[in-house]
Amino acid sequence: MVEPSCSGSSVRFFCTAGNGMETFLTEEVKKKLLAEDVCQIPGKVLFSSSAAIHRVTSLKAAERLFLLLKKDSPLRMPTRCSRAEAASLLQSRLLNRDQWIGAAVTWSRMQRELLATKGLGETGRSQRVGGTEDFAASKKHRSELREPEREEQHGEKPPEKKRMKEDGAEAEIKMESNSFCSKIRLTGDDEASESVENVSFRISCKCSGSVSRSFSSQEVSRMMGAAVSRLLGWKADLKNPLLEVTLHLNDDYCLLGIPLTRLPLANRSYIKTIGLRSTVAWAMASLADIQPGFSVVDPMCGVGTILIEAAQEHQDACFLGVDIDDGQLQRANDNVLFAHLGKSIQLLKASSMGLPLLSGTVDAVVCDLPFGRKFGSNTNMAADLPLILWEMERILCPGGTLVVLLSPQLSCLLKKLLTQEPAGPALEQKAEPQTVAASCLSSSSPPDHQLHSQDRRLAAGLQQRQPPRRSSLKHQATFRVSLGAIDALIQKYVKT
Amino acid sequence: MKLLTHNMLTSHVKGVTKGYPLLIKATEVKVNQLDFNPQFVSRMIPKLEWGALVQAAEDLGYRQDLPGELIADYEQNEEFLKKVHRVLLEVEVMEGCLKCPESGREFPITKGIPNMLLNEDDA
Repeated sequence: MVEPSCSGSSVRFFCTAGNGMETFLTEEVKKKLLAEDVCQIPGKVLFSSSAAIHRVTSLKAAERLFLLLKKDSPLRMPTRCSRAEAASLLQSRLLNRDQWIGAAVTWSRMQRELLATKGLGETGRSQRVGGTEDFAASKKHRSELREPEREEQHGEKPPEKKRMKEDGAEAEIKMESNSFCSKIRLTGDDEASESVENVSFRISCKCSGSVSRSFSSQEVSRMMGAAVSRLLGWKADLKNPLLEVTLHLNDDYCLLGIPLTRLPLANRSYIKTIGLRSTVAWAMASLADIQPGFSVVDPMCGVGTILIEAAQEHQDACFLGVDIDDGQLQRANDNVLFAHLGKSIQLLKASSMGLPLLSGTVDAVVCDLPFGRKFGSNTNMAADLPLILWEMERILCPGGTLVVLLSPQLSCLLKKLLTQEPAGPALEQKAEPQTVAASCLSSSSPPDHQLHSQDRRLAAGLQQRQPPRRSSLKHQATFRVSLGAIDALIQKYVKT
Repeated sequence: MKLLTHNMLTSHVKGVTKGYPLLIKATEVKVNQLDFNPQFVSRMIPKLEWGALVQAAEDLGYRQDLPGELIADYEQNEEFLKKVHRVLLEVEVMEGCLKCPESGREFPITKGIPNMLLNEDDA
């Protein structure tokens, strides 16, 4: 099932992942890459696999992919440590000649394999040289690279102030700048020691915790860079290096890695207009337990990100995207065509509060319920939620799965809607659902008694539109994931 | 709109009790060649309202000789599955409208996307 790589031996990798995505990534590497020694730490997943590299770069839950150079226990700098002492400590702990050369050779082999799978006839350039040039040229896209790195830092949740500081110190060392050596002999076919001369490199360091109190990320990068130059004879090149080595130092570990792709894996080549974060969309689709022959509906599909992620993974199912907005549908349509998924994804204009679908006919419903700044919307989600939920439940067949993404506030409202008893006649007081919802949303953590009364009024509001009922949706799981600036919750239900 | 989608759609106009299946009036129909996947088609068939599919195919002139009743052992019948594949997935209504059989309300299909949105008073 999993093709082995050319060498057939197991390689140790790590991926960065958005906050809350680590568990999804852990499952994915085990399932798709038959990964071993899988280790999950906040914001990262480490694993060993002998799968072919193009399989590894096809991971969906990850942000960026690295070849693991070294993971070690945290570096403890003695207090009042001099620069010289620190440099020697770094060197003795993190610099092992064989390890670094071995990693460079493996990295180089993987670059060639990636290029080979990318398409052989591309513009007819020499593959071997092309690989290195391709990577080097890509360094011009620094701005593209930086953004996700920042997101990763958010994922690790350092205190606000420190986070800002680290961002600023995105380690770039100003050493004697050797011009980029155009003839790189990093073929990896020959004796390792011969093949990795004249490598240009850059160390990008992120420090947090106790180390960062003694030295800045920049200082550590500089010390490491000098040591690597001395030990391996590689040339530091900040602007256009062949090899970028990232170093993460914090109170939990030291981690050295080499990025394997220039763009994050989370940047999907098959998506034209980006909607929901692709990794989160994929995670939602993975929770929907889609089987061959399933029909899957997204009643508020937007530009169709969840359906596209789902359809990429499940060729034998059919998907229907519903949205009320023509502009969104147009972009969704463009996205579907761009991804060549016209055969499995269909689109429909309708309201999520009145779906023109037969009851009990859909196997899975996935939905990113709009919330937050992006939709400073005229529609009040909290007020509409009961009806939207009712519709989603109605179209699902027994045993069908519902996976929704919503804000923490809406999530709390949803849970209450689904667990409440059918409202009795005593509760039938008239109330405007609009005002109820507004007050529920405005107070992030209202006291219990207040919530309770809101509930009752909401239940009353519900009654105006539909008969009292007990929900047949059974809660399965909740996952908190980061969408960058804000967190959201993925909830999974099964219709009983 | 593929007939697979049509098979799932029903009129949701207020007060309508028999809104299924929707009638199709097509002004532009496209046929896309798609890879035939017998497993997928066999898995979809039991979920379909067979009569509605055959009627829709008939209305569009693509019924071929599909029977009014679903045949037994269709899983083994590749020729049959290919016909179903064609009407279910390859035939696509690009322009036209869907009509509620009870209320007569029409829903336009534009660029292949049906607009099933109701006005305030229909809902």
